[in-house]
Amino acid sequence: MIRKEAIKIAFDAAANSPIISANGYISRDLFETNDKETNFYMIGSMGLSSSIALGVALKNPRKRVYVFDGDGNILMNLGSLTTIGKLKPKNLIHLVFDNQSHESTGGQPSNTKNIDIYKIAKSCNYKSFKTTSKVGLKKILSKTKNIGGPVMILIKINKGGKPGKRIIHSPPTIKKRFSQKLNKQR
Amino acid sequence: MFDLLLRNGVENFIGVPDSTMKHFISQGLKKKKILITTREEEAIGIAAGMSLSKQCSLVFMQNAGFANSISTITSLVQLYEFPIIFLIGWRGYLKNDAPEHYKIGRIQPDLIKLIGLDSKTVTESNWKECCQWAMNKINHSIPCALILRREFHD
Repeated sequence: MIRKEAIKIAFDAAANSPIISANGYISRDLFETNDKETNFYMIGSMGLSSSIALGVALKNPRKRVYVFDGDGNILMNLGSLTTIGKLKPKNLIHLVFDNQSHESTGGQPSNTKNIDIYKIAKSCNYKSFKTTSKVGLKKILSKTKNIGGPVMILIKINKGGKPGKRIIHSPPTIKKRFSQKLNKQR
Repeated sequence: MFDLLLRNGVENFIGVPDSTMKHFISQGLKKKKILITTREEEAIGIAAGMSLSKQCSLVFMQNAGFANSISTITSLVQLYEFPIIFLIGWRGYLKNDAPEHYKIGRIQPDLIKLIGLDSKTVTESNWKECCQWAMNKINHSIPCALILRREFHD
């Protein structure tokens, strides 16, 4: 399974829930898969998608909030797992698309070949799941719809595929439309 | 200062502690309004997320943490136009502060100016005006910083 395939499956499961997606190819793939107002695409500030999602989740306890994170991204903000684990937001679903590399910058290796994010998340009070297949991912996504978070789904993916197109919206537009939709749905 | 900001509509106080503002943080902890994070950038991310829910947030940090956060301030807060108040402790303001604070302490006013973050230095006599000024900025969706000088030694 490559990133774009995994993102499509995850997007279908998230339905109309808010999604905060990490910078780089993850946001680009999400944008190409389905551009919606409920997607908050990050451009830059690598590592912070889970923190932004935590802020959204804490203030919107009735909504399931999804994070589309990458291995390089979460490694850059591992402290975030401890803050999330301490606060235990029930409505936070944290997906890590783990290709063991920084694919957006040329495929350089990350540390997750040797380090298991699943275990780290577990010790940070997450309910942790791990999969390498499309069928497995679908199963976990449907199972986790009915359990309280924080939930971590580590999705081991292969490198490859054409990167999604660049996001055409300006950052203030991404913010404005996400915020309007979020507050309308409250 | 904490009470005034809270009364004026700041709902979330997030950050990494600094001794310069320990009384501010103690007051917030007493009122159960403080969220302590592992890094300053994490605090900014959480504040941005809360701001998406139309809530006004303040992020507190030492100026060492401000230096850590420059990229996040420019590529998240300023790029997406998130209205966040920064409260920054100015270590290295006194010439004989601890050595690790000399350099950032000396260039701090220039750093803030360079990235284009509007700021005011808080004193005993102007703190109320500073809070009003910051709230006014936020109401116009402009991020800003309040600087607290460290004028004592441990």
